[in-house]
Amino acid sequence: MAAVPPRDPRQSLLYVLWRLAAMGTGFLVAGGVALYRIRSGHELPGAGWFALWFATTAFFWGFAGLFLRRLALGPVSTPLFGAAVFGVLAFLGYLAGQVAAPFFAMIGTRVLPFVKPSDLVFYAFAGMTIAGAAGTAFSRNIIYSAWSLLFAFMGVAGLYIFLGADFPAVAQVLIYVGGILVLILFAIMLTKQIGEDPKLTNVHLALPVGAALGAAAVAMLVYMAVMAPWKTVDNPRFDPTSGPLGVAFLTEYLLPFEIASVVLLAALVGSVIIARKEIKETTDSAP
Amino acid sequence: MLSIGLPHFLVVGAALFALGIVTVVTRRNAVGILMGVELILNAANVNFVAFNHYVDPARLTGQVFSIFVIVLAAAEAAVGLAIVLAIYQTFRTIDVAETDLLRE
Repeated sequence: MAAVPPRDPRQSLLYVLWRLAAMGTGFLVAGGVALYRIRSGHELPGAGWFALWFATTAFFWGFAGLFLRRLALGPVSTPLFGAAVFGVLAFLGYLAGQVAAPFFAMIGTRVLPFVKPSDLVFYAFAGMTIAGAAGTAFSRNIIYSAWSLLFAFMGVAGLYIFLGADFPAVAQVLIYVGGILVLILFAIMLTKQIGEDPKLTNVHLALPVGAALGAAAVAMLVYMAVMAPWKTVDNPRFDPTSGPLGVAFLTEYLLPFEIASVVLLAALVGSVIIARKEIKETTDSAP
Repeated sequence: MLSIGLPHFLVVGAALFALGIVTVVTRRNAVGILMGVELILNAANVNFVAFNHYVDPARLTGQVFSIFVIVLAAAEAAVGLAIVLAIYQTFRTIDVAETDLLRE
């Protein structure tokens, strides 16, 4: 019969109950002090602060005994730790009461009544688009670039829906996400990437120059977009556009429509011819 | 806070265009460059549809052009990626800084 190892005293029920009682006492004392503060309305006396410190220490002692068992708490370190925790909590409470609460109250009264839900939808789609495009531009792994491009395309489709263009939105999802992105992923998988490190498959060349060029382009375009007096209509319509688009394609834009189909056929045949493997003559292959 | 209007969409299109320019200019991977071209085409499309919605909603010229752009982007992606594959078969790399020979 094997000897029973001595039980850890911290696993007994009495120990757990004792620490739980300490936590409960601290909680009740703190709650009582807070209730006194709220009900009476005037500042806390020194005894109130002392009671809060005592409550924090008791709660922390019980908590540490139950969950932070590596922490050895003696009769001296327990009040010190309690005081430290109390100080941190008091600072956080001061911050929440004096800084954060007026800030959120200001936001709630001044900004929120002017925010429409449709605006939030627009900003969500715009942020998704720009974040996806930024991931495409700056990611160092080309697989991550391709997946970021997925988010950019879906964000643009959301912007189309926001503009009442239902057919372009569906075409965007079907053709860009379902076709072009899959083609790009195929091309990534079929070609050996630059270098041997799989995390550096998409290295940059002269990134500062490119960033300066992009910053100049976005500054010029945004200045133009914001400052120009656009002749916009007052109430844009949100009618479905699939039917009128079909009519426009078959009446007013019939010739470009047919030419587009010829272009698609030519692209199909041309890409097959370009991408097929060449059958070389092996007799005169002298590099 | 002003409500959403035409300049908001133009700003999004400008950001997309600039990021596409950055991608095209700085990438060394040919597939990455094609991704940048797609971003630029999407920026143009956002502007087309936004102008159609806010300036001339009675006619659908902008949406028709956006559909044409999508069609041509599909053709461009197919031919471009085929060219990338041909370059890879010839040079065994798609680093555009190293593919600098006109003939084998």
